[in-house]
Amino acid sequence: MSTHTRARTQAQRQVRQAEEARRARKRRIATAVGALVIVGLVVAIVVVVVQAAGKERTLPEVTGAVVAPANLTATGAVPVGDGAAPVTLEIYYDYMCPACGAFEAANGEELDRLVANGTARIELRPIAFLDEQSRGTEYSTRSAAAFAVVADAAPDRAWAFHTALYAQQPAEGSEGLTDDQIAAIATGAGVPAEAVDRLSDGTYRPWVASVTREAFDSGVQGTPTVKIDGAVFGGNVYQVGPLTEAIEAAAAS
Amino acid sequence: MTTLLAPAPPDVEGSRLHRLRHHEVTAWVTMLVASLASLVASFVLSVEAVTLAKDPDADLGCNLNAVISCGTVGTSWQASVLGFPNAFLGLVFEPAVIVLAVAGLAGVRFPRWFMLAAQVVYTIALGFAYWLFEQAMFEIGALCPWCLLVTLATTLVFFEMTYVNVRDDNLFLPRRVQAALAGFVRSNLDLVLVVAWLLVLVLAVVVEYGEALFA
Repeated sequence: MSTHTRARTQAQRQVRQAEEARRARKRRIATAVGALVIVGLVVAIVVVVVQAAGKERTLPEVTGAVVAPANLTATGAVPVGDGAAPVTLEIYYDYMCPACGAFEAANGEELDRLVANGTARIELRPIAFLDEQSRGTEYSTRSAAAFAVVADAAPDRAWAFHTALYAQQPAEGSEGLTDDQIAAIATGAGVPAEAVDRLSDGTYRPWVASVTREAFDSGVQGTPTVKIDGAVFGGNVYQVGPLTEAIEAAAAS
Repeated sequence: MTTLLAPAPPDVEGSRLHRLRHHEVTAWVTMLVASLASLVASFVLSVEAVTLAKDPDADLGCNLNAVISCGTVGTSWQASVLGFPNAFLGLVFEPAVIVLAVAGLAGVRFPRWFMLAAQVVYTIALGFAYWLFEQAMFEIGALCPWCLLVTLATTLVFFEMTYVNVRDDNLFLPRRVQAALAGFVRSNLDLVLVVAWLLVLVLAVVVEYGEALFA
């Protein structure tokens, strides 16, 4: 082999090696970027999970004098139906809570029937712990306070207003219904005009905050919490059937 | 030990993880385990589909709360978009993947056209799985654990099948693309990609449903 050829093959090898080194460097950079992305994703997941886990206890502050609406039960709930019915069904709920909407959609008609035929009376306990989920409009508190006005001024329309609010439930994380929309729903549910005018006056906001705190202090973990004659119902409340059976069993015993 | 006698690795790519990743059986074992998991999930979902057909309000074992609910997902139109429960597709196709993986483990080399066809069919299956995932997340608004298992397993099978086909040059790709993909796989960037991909799925689930899951 001539010196000339040897020099050429050597030059070729060097070019190849340089090429190879460049490629290896590219791969190392790509791997490093990939690793960074992975670390970023893991951090994001941890942050979201920690925030989600910590969020359920952000309760509204009680500011101002607590004025309870009229017509409450002795334990401070909004009653629906015949007070002499054998079974008492307590429902803790938040108007922003999607699970409560699912509960209402599944069981609403059955509850109508059980109240109408005198099997059960319902004690509604509106609470507001999802105010952070309505982009600063505090929909949970606003809607619960509006409900308290109806309970106070037009107690026979409370259940109709309650179910109408869930029928038009806004998505969690949206701004919620406006005060005007809530008023229109109340009018549609047969709430008299003088009560509709008071819905957004905020009279019962401190009451909502205080019953929310009392609910969590009493061991409520989230919504919907459903109690039959004081005992938490642990069955499936998102499909029609189990709750009805439990109520009817309680009525029969 | 033979590993001590083996020639020194040419560079960092010779690490233990790298060797495990590129070992002949790894891809096939992963495929086998993932397709078995998918088959089990499809079987459970098929049984549930039959239960729901008998009684749409049936109380299923995986109806944990409003968000984690097979019943909500199972009764949606998306769950039987082809006119029968999607899970039946899993019962039909997963055994084929299982056979493929077992044959691969046994050392069978399939013709290139066969593997290309498998890749095409599985890519369609992946697209379908991800359409269902997207629909459940953002349209139905509920998650079902067995469906999530299918999403995960389908992703793993897809990645391993693609890995094998790129490594064995089965995809009839232009030379430059094939060379680039082979380099990508050799440097384990596909592994980085699949880990990031799965983490994106987890992130999507916790962002969308975090509070409901932990409340």
